[in-house]
Amino acid sequence: MTALPSPVMAVLRKELVDSLRDRRTLVAMLLVPLVVSPILMVGVGRYAQSRAQEAREQPLRVAVVDPHNDSGLADHLDALPGIEAVPEKDVTSLSARIAAEEYDAAVLVDENFQREVAALHPGGVSLLFKSSDRFDQQKARIKDALTGFEQKLLDRRFAALQLGPDVVHAIRVQEHDVASPREQLGKLVGGLLPYMFILFCFTGSMYPAIDLAAGEKERGTLETLLTAPVSRWSLVLGKFLVVTLTGITSALIAMLGLYLSFKYGFEGLPPELLSAIGQVLEPATIAAVFALLVPLAMFFAALLLMLSIYARSYKEAVSIISPLTIVVLVPAMLALIPGTRLTAVTALIPVLNVSLATRELVAGTAAPALVALVFTSLLALAFASLFACSRWFAREDVVFRT
Amino acid sequence: MITVQHLAKRFRLSRQQRRSREDVGSARDSSVQAVDDLGFTARPGRIFALLGPNGAGKTTALRMIATLLRPDAGQIHIAGVDALADPVAARRKLGFLTGSTRLYERLTADEVVRYYAALAGVSEPDYRRRRDALFGALGIDAFAGRRCGKLSTGMQQKVSIARTIIHDPEVIIFDEATSGLDVIAARAIIQFIRQCRSDGKTVLFSTHIMSEVTKLADDLAIVHGGKLLYSGTFAEFTAASGERSLEDEFIRHVEAAEGTTGTTGAPR
Repeated sequence: MTALPSPVMAVLRKELVDSLRDRRTLVAMLLVPLVVSPILMVGVGRYAQSRAQEAREQPLRVAVVDPHNDSGLADHLDALPGIEAVPEKDVTSLSARIAAEEYDAAVLVDENFQREVAALHPGGVSLLFKSSDRFDQQKARIKDALTGFEQKLLDRRFAALQLGPDVVHAIRVQEHDVASPREQLGKLVGGLLPYMFILFCFTGSMYPAIDLAAGEKERGTLETLLTAPVSRWSLVLGKFLVVTLTGITSALIAMLGLYLSFKYGFEGLPPELLSAIGQVLEPATIAAVFALLVPLAMFFAALLLMLSIYARSYKEAVSIISPLTIVVLVPAMLALIPGTRLTAVTALIPVLNVSLATRELVAGTAAPALVALVFTSLLALAFASLFACSRWFAREDVVFRT
Repeated sequence: MITVQHLAKRFRLSRQQRRSREDVGSARDSSVQAVDDLGFTARPGRIFALLGPNGAGKTTALRMIATLLRPDAGQIHIAGVDALADPVAARRKLGFLTGSTRLYERLTADEVVRYYAALAGVSEPDYRRRRDALFGALGIDAFAGRRCGKLSTGMQQKVSIARTIIHDPEVIIFDEATSGLDVIAARAIIQFIRQCRSDGKTVLFSTHIMSEVTKLADDLAIVHGGKLLYSGTFAEFTAASGERSLEDEFIRHVEAAEGTTGTTGAPR
């Protein structure tokens, strides 16, 4: 005899259809991670790139005050591309003129500069500038120019003393980074990846969880549902699976969005970085990250459903759950702090453990035992939360809280 | 058949409920006895009315019978099944419809009814047969593919009826099922209740409207302050009222109880 789907499958199917017809869920689960987030990320990145480029290429107007006009600094600066050196005599008004942005900076050569240089002492030069967010690039350019001028003077000294330029170096340090490009990538973006998928796993689960419990309570369909001849456990399990599924989907879509952003959103990424991204995308790494994501999504789903069914209304559920987004992100942010490492202790702290383990997996430096510990602890937490959730749904004072 | 014996339920009051009770001069209790030693029997092929003013404990009693709430004491049997020992089996025997019942707005009428059939474990052939019969009888076919959020109140009520009885329950409970409905929608419910009696179902309905009792009840119980004040057939109740109207007779029972117990009602 053909049967309709089992109760759990019936709940799962119904809630999926219902959720996918809910605009809020679709926006949180699909649109934000796949479209909005990458657009914002690429947009902000490109904006920052273009501003930096602009600062690098912007012509600099630098006042040069050289009392005897014999240092050669003005000529050196003027010969450099993008710098216009303007000889000045009036020192007193310089600060005001820089503040008014008539000049980007001013270089003041000491009265006895030539004498000091001739005596093989450092010649004094003062740099006047107005610090601002956009001056960092400009200051670096002027300092580079001054370093070039210093090198020119040093070369002359060495020639006069008949010394080679290497005489000032007593040792020669050669740096060899043994970290593979993949490990370097792990350091660079390894913390960002779990940050993104933890955030979207949580926000993707949030609206379905609110809708499936508090929403059902508010709409008056929960009481009817609870009179259906099906165990409370089956109802909870069906809802739990849907929320878990939406959380996982949202996180996977966020990762896809992140990948597409890196691949197509930014120009001029080094080939080593692109190759390292390719290495990260190997099936074993993806499978390991996914294995961590599943119990995390289960934990979020159970937690969110518990809070949602406790709320009297949809609005109350939103006000209880929304601030949790920040609470959840704190451990993910802790993982971004240099020096925070995956250990037997941190492997037991929810969310932080996923962040650290993912960073290690991306870098290819994960210790299998620690990753297994993270997975096991998360799985235990997920099942404990599911059990607590089913007990919570069985409580009259929670389900009928008005 | 529904058999209820010595049913009791006490609720803890929330701080807000305690405060609002104090405001109207009630005692500063931390809990309230919503149902107290309630007992009655509703039989197949008859309509049993549970009559009482607002806050009498009717909804609490029906929620316990429908296994939504667990009683502190007492026994409930639904079509021979011990509802406390096996609530899922008891729910298989009953359909529950309330006036506040809503439907899933984003699902079609067809999907809602199919969902409840699946939850009840109805086989596909049985589902199709019952769906066709119910949709035909209630006139749902015309809007079966439309989402419930787009349906009129009357249409939604028909879908609610279909989902209540898609699994062909022996017992059907109506909790103030006509409250908030317009005349036409309320009439459809009244007709449906009568149809259930004709089909040999056990019907239990709660109301505070005497005219509904007059139209429908074969048996009735009056509840007030969670206690049973009267239980008997409608014919006996009518005979006992003598020259008084049925409404006066109902009020006489309630006032007599208030004189003896001093109870002012319980939260639903």
